[in-house]
Amino acid sequence: MIDVVKAYEEEFEQLVKLYEKHTQDNSLRNRAVASIIVSGNRVIGLNTLKGIDVKSKTREDGVVIIDVNIEDNVIMPIPVHLCTGFLEKRGEQLLRFNYYIGNNVKIKFKSHCILTKIEKLHHKMISDIYVGKNSSLIYEDEHFHDENGGIFVETITYAKLDKNAFFQNKFSATKTRIGKINVLMDLELSDSAKADLESKIYGKLTDEINIQEILRLNGEHASGIAKSTIFATDLTKAHVINEAYGNAPYTKGHIECNEVVKGENVSVSTVPILKVVNEKSELTHEASVGRIKQDQLDILMSKGLSEEEATSIIINGLIG
Amino acid sequence: MLALNNIRYAKNSKEIIKDITLQFEESQVTSIIGNNGVGKSTIAYIIMGLEDYKPTSGNIILNGEDITNLGVTERAKRGISLLWQEPTRFEGLTVENYLSLGGRINKDKINEALELVRLNPKVYLQRYVDKKLSGGERKRIEIASCVLLKPKFLIMDEPDSGIDIMSLDMINDIIVYLKLQRTGVIIITHREEIARKSDYSYLICDGRIIKKGLCNEIVNYYKATCDVCDTINAPKEE
Repeated sequence: MIDVVKAYEEEFEQLVKLYEKHTQDNSLRNRAVASIIVSGNRVIGLNTLKGIDVKSKTREDGVVIIDVNIEDNVIMPIPVHLCTGFLEKRGEQLLRFNYYIGNNVKIKFKSHCILTKIEKLHHKMISDIYVGKNSSLIYEDEHFHDENGGIFVETITYAKLDKNAFFQNKFSATKTRIGKINVLMDLELSDSAKADLESKIYGKLTDEINIQEILRLNGEHASGIAKSTIFATDLTKAHVINEAYGNAPYTKGHIECNEVVKGENVSVSTVPILKVVNEKSELTHEASVGRIKQDQLDILMSKGLSEEEATSIIINGLIG
Repeated sequence: MLALNNIRYAKNSKEIIKDITLQFEESQVTSIIGNNGVGKSTIAYIIMGLEDYKPTSGNIILNGEDITNLGVTERAKRGISLLWQEPTRFEGLTVENYLSLGGRINKDKINEALELVRLNPKVYLQRYVDKKLSGGERKRIEIASCVLLKPKFLIMDEPDSGIDIMSLDMINDIIVYLKLQRTGVIIITHREEIARKSDYSYLICDGRIIKKGLCNEIVNYYKATCDVCDTINAPKEE
C-alpha cells in the first residue's frame, strides 16, 4: 500500500475505487508503481521511487502546487500514475503542476481525472513542463466526468523541450460526457526536439469544447504534430485552433483536425494557423468537418452491419 | 441464383443502365467485361443496393426472393457482398478491429484470411487501416474481409486494381478458393488474365449487354473489338 495521509484514508479508498471502476487498473495500490493521488484541494496519497521527487502544498487561496522533479538519467519502465479526483458535489479544484524532467530521462505519466458524481465543478489545471536534453516524456491524460454536464475543465499546459527532447501528450475524454472544456497546449521546441500532441473528445448534449494547440518550432530540425479529433453530437459546440510556427531552418510541423458531426444542431469549426519565418521550414495542415463519410458506412454496411453498428465502429476508431 | 431482370437505372435524367438481364449461379464465376465508363461498377452498386443506385425499373431476385427494395445491410445479411474497387481508409482502426467487425469474427479466422491474401498476421494485425497502408495492402485486407464473410455472392469490382502485377496469381487463387466455398463470384474487369478465370461472361457497352456466353468466346471478342475501340459507349452493330 502506498503512503496515504491518515486523515484521508477513507477519501483515498473512495477515490481509488472510482479509479479502478473506470480504468480496470489497480496500480494505485501497488508499491512498485510511482503515484500521486490528489483529492479536492490536497495531495492525499503519494508513492515515489528512486529518482522521482514530489513536493506539494496547498496555498491559502486553495491552489494545490505540485512540483515533480525527475533526476538526470532516470529510465522508468513503469508509468507514473497521477489520479485527480473530486468527491464533493460542488466546488472548485485548482491545480498547478511544475514538472522538471532532467537530461537523458525516459518516463511516462498516466493521468486520470475522476470527476464523477458532480453537480457543478470548476477544475483548472495549469502545468509547466520542462523536458531536458535527450529526454522522452509521454503524458497520457484521460478524463471521466459526470453525465449531467455541470463540469467546466480548463487544462493549460506550457512545455519547453530542450535539445533532442521528445514530448508526447495524449488527451482523451471520450467515455463520459465532457461538460465544458477549454484545452490550451503551448509548446516551445529547441534543436531536434520532437512533439506529438493528440486530443480526442466526444461531445454530447450541450457540451462545449474549445481546443488550442500551438507548436513553436524554434530550434533547427525541430518537428511536431498536433492532431485533434472531435465527435460532436446533439447540441455540442466545438472550436479547434491548431497553430504551428516554423521559426528555424529544417523545422517540420503538421497540424490536423478532424471533426465528425452527428445531428442537425451541432456547431463545429476549425482554424489552422501556419506561419513560417524561415524559408527552410516546412509546415502542413489537414482538416475535415462533416458527417461520417458515406463510403466508410457503405463498406461496413455491405458486410451486414446496420448504419448504427457501422457508425459505432468508425467512431471507436476515431476517438476510442 | 441471383438474377437481375430488365434493370434500368438513370442518374440526373440520363439513363446509365439500359434494360439489362443477368443471371449468376452459386459456385460459378461470372465476369462482367467492358471498357472504362460503360456502367460496370454501376451494376455492382445496383446489385449491392447502395442508396443512390435504386433501379428505375426491373427487379432483383435472390433465390426466389425479390430483394429490389432491400437496403445494403439486408442484402449483405442475405449473402451478397462487394469487394470495392477502391477501399477507403478507417483512421484509428487496426486491421484486427476492422476485420473482426467490432468483435463479430474471431482472431483465428482473421489470421487464416490474412494468410490467404499473403499478409503476415504478426505484421499486419495491429497496423492501422489508414494512409500508411499502400493501396495494394488495403486491397488485400479488403479481400480478406470479403473471404471472412463467406458470402453466397461476391461482386469483385476490378479485383486487381491497386495490386502489383506479380500478385495477380493471388487474386486468381482467391477466386478459385471462393468458388470451392460455393460462393458465386461476379468479377467486374477489363483485364484478360482475370476475365479468363470465369465460367461465363457478359460484355457491357453503353449500359447494355452486347454479348454473353462462355468466357473465352467473350474475352476473344472483347480483345478483337472493344480493346481496340477508340470510342466510348458506341457499340458496333453486329
